[in-house]
Amino acid sequence: MKTILAFRESEYAWVHEKFPCVHPLLLPLCNKPFIEFLIDFAILAGSSAVRILCDGGLGEVERYCEDGSRWGIDLSYASIHPDDSIHAMLGKNRKFCGEERVMIVSGFSFIRYDKRYDYKSFVSSMPPGEWSTCPGGRITLTGVPTKAVPDWLIADLSLMPLDSMTSYYQASMETLKTGESRYVLPGYGDEPECAFGRNVVISKSVEIRKPVSIGNNVQLLGNAIIGPSAIIGSNVIIDRESSVESSIVFDNTYIGEHLEIIGRIASGNRLNDPKSGASIAMEDPHLLSGIKKNRHLRSLPRKIVHACVALVIIAAFFIPFIILWPLLKLGGHWKSSPASFLAERTDETMPLAKVEVDASGAAAAIAVALSLDRYFRLFRVVTGQLALIGSTPLLAGESRPDAPAYVPAYLPGVFSYAEAEEWAATGGDATIVERFHLAHSNPLTDIGLVIKAFINRFQEKSTI
Amino acid sequence: MTITETSKIGIAILSLYGTLDALSAPELRNNRSIIDPEKTVVIDLQQVDFIDSSGIGAIVSASRQKRQPSGGIVLACMNDRVRKVFEITNAQKLFHIFDDTTAAVDFASSRQSASA
Amino acid sequence: MSSIITLTLPGEIMFARLASQTASSLADLVIGENREESAKRKFCHAFELAVSEAVTNSVTHAEEFDAPQMLTVTFEFEPRQLTVSVRDANPPFSIDKSAPDIESYPVHGFGLKIIREIMDQFTYRRDGDANIITMSKSL
Repeated sequence: MKTILAFRESEYAWVHEKFPCVHPLLLPLCNKPFIEFLIDFAILAGSSAVRILCDGGLGEVERYCEDGSRWGIDLSYASIHPDDSIHAMLGKNRKFCGEERVMIVSGFSFIRYDKRYDYKSFVSSMPPGEWSTCPGGRITLTGVPTKAVPDWLIADLSLMPLDSMTSYYQASMETLKTGESRYVLPGYGDEPECAFGRNVVISKSVEIRKPVSIGNNVQLLGNAIIGPSAIIGSNVIIDRESSVESSIVFDNTYIGEHLEIIGRIASGNRLNDPKSGASIAMEDPHLLSGIKKNRHLRSLPRKIVHACVALVIIAAFFIPFIILWPLLKLGGHWKSSPASFLAERTDETMPLAKVEVDASGAAAAIAVALSLDRYFRLFRVVTGQLALIGSTPLLAGESRPDAPAYVPAYLPGVFSYAEAEEWAATGGDATIVERFHLAHSNPLTDIGLVIKAFINRFQEKSTI
Repeated sequence: MTITETSKIGIAILSLYGTLDALSAPELRNNRSIIDPEKTVVIDLQQVDFIDSSGIGAIVSASRQKRQPSGGIVLACMNDRVRKVFEITNAQKLFHIFDDTTAAVDFASSRQSASA
Repeated sequence: MSSIITLTLPGEIMFARLASQTASSLADLVIGENREESAKRKFCHAFELAVSEAVTNSVTHAEEFDAPQMLTVTFEFEPRQLTVSVRDANPPFSIDKSAPDIESYPVHGFGLKIIREIMDQFTYRRDGDANIITMSKSL
């Protein structure tokens, strides 16, 4: 048996508009991408191969699902035209279908199935034709049945159209409620209705009210109330005294302090009301409480403290730098190339040298461990162009839709706040950590974080 | 690149082998069946081991020469490498793409008779 | 330890293929034997495609100005990434970040879109009289 999953861009255009950061087929339902529910169902129905058809781009879906080996099936991709009928789709995929029975799931709709039913026997005994339908979605079977329908066999399912934020919210909440009993859902947990991902840090005073589903790399800070009915994605921070109830928080979202998220979908910088479909965009893509800027961020005392500490570091490392730098430069281990980085002010750039030290020798290893590759940048702190610690400077010209240079909370630094954390200093995790500290740090905590970043870099480089 | 041409129920089938890039694109562009605006052509891409934007440009330009731009050139048997480049450039939207040459020929033939 | 290989080629279209095939072979060499076959194929194909696009772009740009020039393709191997730079002496060109439209004809601007899509990093800069496109991808 084989399965074709067919979608048209027009069916999920609303997802592009409301949740532009995610491919519609990867839209998370209870922390599991939509397409995975369909793949699971295809496997339950006995499919050995699944083909995803779409009249739009499938690049992101393909990068996520790859060749299906993770599910033990053959997964392939092909394109269709928006007006292709089921007959046309079968013709375009004749080689894939072969002589086997084919189940075609078309439309952007959610299948309410139950993993305890024997869909495999059911599908192999059903006559060809339409199995289930809903506005905008249908399941069709082709080919002759291979078995007779046993009288006792029950394999119920129904389709639910995902045609708006309201139906998406309903499907998510329904999935959370029915949970593991009907679907295969991600996360671990000893208690029913509580699923936790990896690296979830929960402060003691946090209250969890079931049912909840929490993704990977999540921090729940003091006195936060999570649930009931909260779906929290990955790389999320829920700050102090905030509550999330009957809501969905997408990946890479930071919920600031003292916020009440009830009956909402929070995605990056957007807070959506699933009932009315209204959404409000905040200033900062990762900081839902970003409307309140950190007053300390650009204050003069902060600049003075940073400059003074930079001067101390310049003086302290002057001798190792003056010995090692010429040595490495002459030996070809110190490579410096000019590059243009996004400056603190929106739309401005600044030239900065990109230094790469080839840490193959002892001298180079010491230089890297002492962060001497950042030495020249310390002078920019004295002149006020860079912070001593802040955001990772971003190369100008790189296409980054969420580039912090376009939002208030971006302060390029010699060291980055992400380097002060034990989390990987890259990707979405780093962005979240940087946002958090840009919102909460002050000149004094910055000194501590610089020391932490320095130690982390030292340990990291000295263990390579 | 090598182009092998066969014909089935009045439809030209061009099977391409090798690399379709800026160097080999003129060969496809200048093919007689491609130049003929009335001729419906199925291009079999199974054996194309490399294609770049110049190759895509040659196929798009071929379809523009046809009287029926969306049905004059039908593509068949795209391998993953070729499909990926079509996907990045969004060129897949311009063509009907089949995973089987016979099915592509059937489709092309039905289109040709419908427009005749 | 990084190693550098440089190819100096006449700015003619036939050499774009030489450069792209060299890129694929070098990518295969640098990725090593321990990776999955599909990952190896993807990595090599990405470099073959990106270099083909960059060199073809450079050659066709030179032809527009009727000034075929020698061009230099540099491959730099680092422990965790491969970087390729294409340097030519053509007049500067503009990098349009907006997505080109496949419906428009003739089809233009897809080379850079492809490079951006398949490489981890892409930069264009003007160095004196030279255009330098640099592309890199982690292993």
